[in-house]
Amino acid sequence: MAEIPQSAATDEQLVKAAQQGDMGAFEELVARHRDKIYARAYSMMRNEDEALDLSQEAWVKAWQRLVQFQGDSSFPTWITRIVINLCLDQLRRQKRRRTESIDGMDEESGGVERQLPVVIINPTEGLERAELRERIDKALAQLSEAHRTVIVLCEFQSMEYKEIAKAMNCSIGTVMSRLFYARRRLASLLADLKKAE
Amino acid sequence: MNHELELKLQAWVDGQLPVHEADAVARLIETDAAARAALTELKNTRAALAGYEDGIKVPESREFYWSKIAREIERQQPRQQPTADSWFHHFRRLLIPAGAVAALLLFGMFASRTTSQDNQPYDLSNLVADSDAFAFTDEESGTTLIWFSYPTENEFAEPDDSDIL
Repeated sequence: MAEIPQSAATDEQLVKAAQQGDMGAFEELVARHRDKIYARAYSMMRNEDEALDLSQEAWVKAWQRLVQFQGDSSFPTWITRIVINLCLDQLRRQKRRRTESIDGMDEESGGVERQLPVVIINPTEGLERAELRERIDKALAQLSEAHRTVIVLCEFQSMEYKEIAKAMNCSIGTVMSRLFYARRRLASLLADLKKAE
Repeated sequence: MNHELELKLQAWVDGQLPVHEADAVARLIETDAAARAALTELKNTRAALAGYEDGIKVPESREFYWSKIAREIERQQPRQQPTADSWFHHFRRLLIPAGAVAALLLFGMFASRTTSQDNQPYDLSNLVADSDAFAFTDEESGTTLIWFSYPTENEFAEPDDSDIL
């Protein structure tokens, strides 16, 4: 890495240097991808402190496992999978501490979402980026954890149904149902937020 | 539209419907108004979510965020991570067992010669008091060499390497 400034090096070059123990190269990787990793943790946890802790834990784990990274996927994809797994573990721990709610039991059967009218008009049309993000923020916060997780894994991580099923430890059918009802609820929430203005 | 068709429509939008079922869903959209409405809702929701995470930033400075990571890495890693610079460390790890094997081979070779030539002028033996040390004696020249298969206790010996012996 001596001849190339770290800011100009590619991810692959930085990963190789970090695998040799170069902490400076690893710091550059953190600087480049920290927003993406934090954003993914925040999308899943909806809590700033938890998202910070989990994203930083993901970087520590990445450093420890860096020798195992063979470049089969891109580095951002690899580190994103680490933070997703940490978030899923954290959500499972939190779930074990709580009792199951009625809403949770209705997740797969679409207890509420089944009755929602279809939203044909685009509820986010014409919104500024910041305004749209704020509205989606509010809507995502109202989804159950299972619904939100399936949305994040499918929409933001572009995972296939079978990969989501494996990550969430459920069947592909459950993933498809959860995803369908999560989207229906999201559409309805976004429409409600538009009406409320 | 029943739930099975709704899920097929969704899988079609997500590009995860098998090819042989895709045509049937495309026909359904053409003929069924409810399917078209569901499709519109799905597409609008997906479009609204696109790019959502791009606007989320770490609410801490680069230095502060990194300092916590660096501290945790150092806390969990008391020993220096092996690097390419520590070639001597790897060389020593290989040298000791290789030396022991070479000494054993030499010992075997000389022992077999001892049985066939009773009047040989030298002797190679394993010291009973220390099974990891070997002695070579040449009576003609009056030379005795002792080979230790482990490092000596001096300022170059690394206490951390005791586990490799």
